[in-house]
Amino acid sequence: MIEWVGRKTIAGATYLAALATLFSQAVLDLVLPTQQGRRETLRVLVRQILFTGVDALPVTSVIALLLGIIIVTQAGTQLPRLGAGGLVGSIIVVTVIRELGPLITAFIVVGRSGTAIATELGTMSVTGEVVALRLMGISISRFVIMPRMVGMVLSMLCLTLYFDVVAVLGGYLIADAQLTIPFYAFVESVTKALSTTDVLMTAVKGLCFGSAVAAVCCHHGLAVRSSFTEVPQQTTRAMINSFVLCLLIDVVVTVPLYL
Amino acid sequence: MSEAALVLEQVRTPMSGSSHHLEVDLCIASGEFVALVGPSRSGKSLIIALAAGLVSPEAGRVVLLGHEWSEASASEPSHVRLRVGTVLEQPGLLSNMTLFNNVLLPLRYHRGAMSDRSREHAVMAQLERLGLMPVRDRFPAELNHGEVRRGAIARACMLDPEVLLLDDPVAGVDAEMLLVLRAYVEERRADHPLTVVVAMRAWSPFIEGADRLVVLRDGRVEADGPRDAVAEVVPAALRRYVE
Repeated sequence: MIEWVGRKTIAGATYLAALATLFSQAVLDLVLPTQQGRRETLRVLVRQILFTGVDALPVTSVIALLLGIIIVTQAGTQLPRLGAGGLVGSIIVVTVIRELGPLITAFIVVGRSGTAIATELGTMSVTGEVVALRLMGISISRFVIMPRMVGMVLSMLCLTLYFDVVAVLGGYLIADAQLTIPFYAFVESVTKALSTTDVLMTAVKGLCFGSAVAAVCCHHGLAVRSSFTEVPQQTTRAMINSFVLCLLIDVVVTVPLYL
Repeated sequence: MSEAALVLEQVRTPMSGSSHHLEVDLCIASGEFVALVGPSRSGKSLIIALAAGLVSPEAGRVVLLGHEWSEASASEPSHVRLRVGTVLEQPGLLSNMTLFNNVLLPLRYHRGAMSDRSREHAVMAQLERLGLMPVRDRFPAELNHGEVRRGAIARACMLDPEVLLLDDPVAGVDAEMLLVLRAYVEERRADHPLTVVVAMRAWSPFIEGADRLVVLRDGRVEADGPRDAVAEVVPAALRRYVE
């Protein structure tokens, strides 16, 4: 048993070290000035932002709107029974802006783009494209990993903030239509409950989740070696590990701040 | 012709899928055209992979253009990579780019100072010489094996390499295009000194112009020299690879 725990701990530490190496190399590639492959890398980055950020707007809008409606419906019907009808705004801030917004956005990005990155890199590995790039003197970190990582971090940050805004809007729609809470009262309730720390923490979570998801998905994609059957296996691992890592980061960020 | 472009000095390394080890001592001079021939799993592709720095030998040294590949340096010595064009058994054309963009990629990445127009002219010229113009806007999945291989060779030659490492360059190439490919390599060798190392599974007109044939079996060199000399000394079982 002790041996099993030790083995798992070493494996976990090795895994996190590999992710940290991948991430730090990508950061170095981003900040170190070089003319080599700049335009090509920028092209990959723009494509990644379009796919991860812009193309995800419709699904993010729908999920955020529905979530806002569900939360305000529940809060608006239950809180008045407890004599806390004025806390609808706080509920939106606490549940959506602080927690569910960043997390659900991360889950959307993992499901859409994280798996796509893992699959794409896995397929590239099997078909010899990764080796071919190396042989052409093209840095895998600079040309493949860094633009995907930066694209995902920027997209995650923007999508998280967008998710929060749309969820609040969804909450207002139901508050106005069913609970007859006037617009100004709703906005006042939300803004009163919202602090600068909440907004900053949401942004920090977006950045951390984006970095983690990108590193995990690139790592698992490049871990594919010689068979196409490894691609779905690594993609599934990338998805599960991304979810777990996002929740871990959420706990690490949230507990010290709000407890 | 005297300076060595590629040296495999007392190299010993395990061969995947075989109980044998590759054990070679090989020196290829600058400008030489050397064909590695022999049956499957004789170590030809492994020599190409060693020369390209993709595999580190268990023992011995591999020196390419004066640069010794080792565990420590195998990470990314791009200055050597840019002087070597390599096409492996899996050509590795990027599946999300058209053939044209695949061939253009090395120039876009490494020759940022070149104008778009000159880069495109250079690519068009390569594609024209290899008979690939009609399929230039197709994606790799829409090309046949021969076209993919020729496209990969065009891409490998875009930076005017000093050494060309080709693993089975004629696989899937039809008889007519095989002559086109041979003429292409000969033209490039005539233009500037180019060392060519080719791994071949069967005899082909493509290697008629080779300066040397190295016949391999079970990881060992059975014969090495000009074609005529090799044909005389090679064991009977391997004769079909040189005739």
